[in-house]
Amino acid sequence: MAAPASSADKDRTVQQTDMDALVSRCSAIQTGYLTDPYAEMFLETSTPRDRRYPLINRGTYIRTTALDQIVESFLSRPYQGKKQIVSLGAGSDTRFFRLAADKSLRLLYHEFDFPQVTSRKIAAIQRHKELAAIISGFGQVGSPEDSTNAPGFQVDARAGSLRSPCYYIHPLDLRTLKPGVPLPTGIDATIPTLFISECCLIYLSPNEADDIFRWITSSFGQTSESISNGVGIVLYEPIGGDDSFGKVMIRNLSQRGIVLRTLQRYSTLERQKERMRVLGFNTGMGACDVNFIHDEWVDSKEKERIDRLELLDEREEWVLLAKHYCIAWGWVERHAPTGLADSLSFQNWSRFPLQ
Amino acid sequence: MSDLDRAIEQLRQCRPIPELQVREICFKAREILIEEANVQIVDAPVTICGDIHGQFHDLMELFRVGGDCPDTNYLFMGDFVDRGFYSLESFLLLLCLKVRYPDRITLIRGNHESRQITTVYGFYDECIRKYGSANVWRYCCDVFDYLALGALVIGAGSSVQPTRLADGEDAETKVREAEDEVEIEVIGLGGVVTRQMSRRDAGMINSTNLTPSALPHLSSSGPAGALLTGVPGTGASGNSRGVANSNTPTNTGGAVLCVHGGLSPLIDSVDKIRLLDRKQEVPHDGAMCDLLWSDPEEIDGWGLSPRGAGFLFGADIVKQFNHLNNLTLIARAHQLVMEGFKEMFDSSIVTVWSAPNYCYRCGNVAAILELGEDNSNAVLRSGGEEVLFNRENTRRLASTYMGGSMKRGGPGRRYRVFEAAAQDSRGMPSKKPMPYYFL
Repeated sequence: MAAPASSADKDRTVQQTDMDALVSRCSAIQTGYLTDPYAEMFLETSTPRDRRYPLINRGTYIRTTALDQIVESFLSRPYQGKKQIVSLGAGSDTRFFRLAADKSLRLLYHEFDFPQVTSRKIAAIQRHKELAAIISGFGQVGSPEDSTNAPGFQVDARAGSLRSPCYYIHPLDLRTLKPGVPLPTGIDATIPTLFISECCLIYLSPNEADDIFRWITSSFGQTSESISNGVGIVLYEPIGGDDSFGKVMIRNLSQRGIVLRTLQRYSTLERQKERMRVLGFNTGMGACDVNFIHDEWVDSKEKERIDRLELLDEREEWVLLAKHYCIAWGWVERHAPTGLADSLSFQNWSRFPLQ
Repeated sequence: MSDLDRAIEQLRQCRPIPELQVREICFKAREILIEEANVQIVDAPVTICGDIHGQFHDLMELFRVGGDCPDTNYLFMGDFVDRGFYSLESFLLLLCLKVRYPDRITLIRGNHESRQITTVYGFYDECIRKYGSANVWRYCCDVFDYLALGALVIGAGSSVQPTRLADGEDAETKVREAEDEVEIEVIGLGGVVTRQMSRRDAGMINSTNLTPSALPHLSSSGPAGALLTGVPGTGASGNSRGVANSNTPTNTGGAVLCVHGGLSPLIDSVDKIRLLDRKQEVPHDGAMCDLLWSDPEEIDGWGLSPRGAGFLFGADIVKQFNHLNNLTLIARAHQLVMEGFKEMFDSSIVTVWSAPNYCYRCGNVAAILELGEDNSNAVLRSGGEEVLFNRENTRRLASTYMGGSMKRGGPGRRYRVFEAAAQDSRGMPSKKPMPYYFL
């Protein structure tokens, strides 16, 4: 047995899960499931580029595209004003760069993560001119050529922070966020905001994770005069630790030092929805497991396409694995006093097929 | 001690053997396999096993639970390699046993015994890692091309000798009356008899009560070994009560077709399997592909397989195939079953899965299927293989137990359920890759 891990070791283990997810993303891209020219740029040369098994590629694909659908729905009409996304434990996620390809998008994008992780990300941005150009060019008026010359963002390499008019990387420990804690620089609590946690809050203690929910619902989503400024959250995380698959999952991950700390409290789709309701995302909520999303959210043409990419010989295993991950979402958004439906940002979230 | 015996000893300790010796053994194995039919005839008693997938220590557990080769006659239904950490040692051990005891172990081909699949699912990489070149992988793939596509078990009894319950022990399902013959017996974890069912217990067994948590977890030094004393059929006068229209006393269990995946729309008889040219890489479609890739499913007729190869087939297909071919049961593997085995379609087909905690991740138990011997068949048996699988004989026998109403008339079946070898006996390398999760 190894010596008991220090809390710094535990944090490092959690931070390393990001590299793991990135290698998987690159594998799914290389196999043709996803299109993402940016993921590769965040891989460090020392990281082995393993090709994952087909069921892992498929899971990475579903996780990414399901979140894409949720985000897309938030960003689309009816409300056409500026919106904001905050990615919790964003790690090397490329969503900002993929979204920023659409220069007409009126979006403010924030990422939170440990300074060790944000520094690595910023180093990659500085290594790759293409990434820097996207940040500089996004939300700027004028031709892209102008923006590449003068970087439209500031970096504090020591702190691990990046700041531009529309994209911020914040080095911070999520465990410090609780009701009463002021908003980090650049965050606008008056516009519609979506929080994303992709396998992130699960590593916090249940109380810490709940505090972040309360911090969000107490800081955002207050009704203002004429426009909506609702707030929503979407989670992707494991569920179902009570059956034999779940028990083995908990045991295997704990051997790597990874503890799924909120799994017990939020172990079912029902509990995930209840979590949303109780912690303030109570206008609407939903939760589906990844197997359901695979079967019901992916249109038949797209399914045919991914079926052709690789032989999936792990059918039963896929169903088993996919039933142990979920996407859960909730939002709070009251009709603005003007009562106009087109002032809402989250109403399309109620149209996702429910399990 | 011969070189071969030494190789077996070394592999039993999960240590690879030198490349030159692999080449030699693969060559010898090919000479044996080339003589085998596409559908190899196997005499009961036999122990039928499903997927192994390189889980070497669990294969050792299987031998502990089922008895050693050659003491027990084994039939492995393919998928020896890929996914687990020890495909090489697992497959070579089975292959060495085949060369050493060719009449006591039958190996048939699974869909993973293929060049294309092994490059995706791990066996190729494992060979490169352990030998530094692809030579051993090539030798093994050449052997894969010669593996039989199926097997036909004949001479199985219609009942199993009930395992005596230990003092004070009670089977979980005890619906049997003292004078009834036992058609299905389930030995759960730790060698505990969890179920004994007679032929007249209606309905199908679905083993749903056999989840690991529902079973007592006894120590690994449990009484499993003590229960291995033979699986004879019952006396010659045994007449199955469930058999309608049967005037001839018989206790034969009929013929059992074993195949890795399942049926093919291109194959309506066992004889058609015999006509295939099997000595090739598994094709992407066609009859040979289907036999290795298809799955039974609750549908009518045939359906497209979500696996991208093979087909789905329903109860009507199985019952018709069994009827036309005088089969009482199809045994197949290929699909993970959390409870280790699963009978479907009124017990006309069974899935046997022998890789516990599959991929070190799934949390399932595994099972093997023991078919006992039909003692009344002794005269036929002495006639040798050719006589034994004479269509007329099997048809005549079949007609007695099939009856006119397609009632269950399968062989007596004993399922032994087992779980993954204890973690500490695994001896996994310290830098072992972990089963993957989404993080």
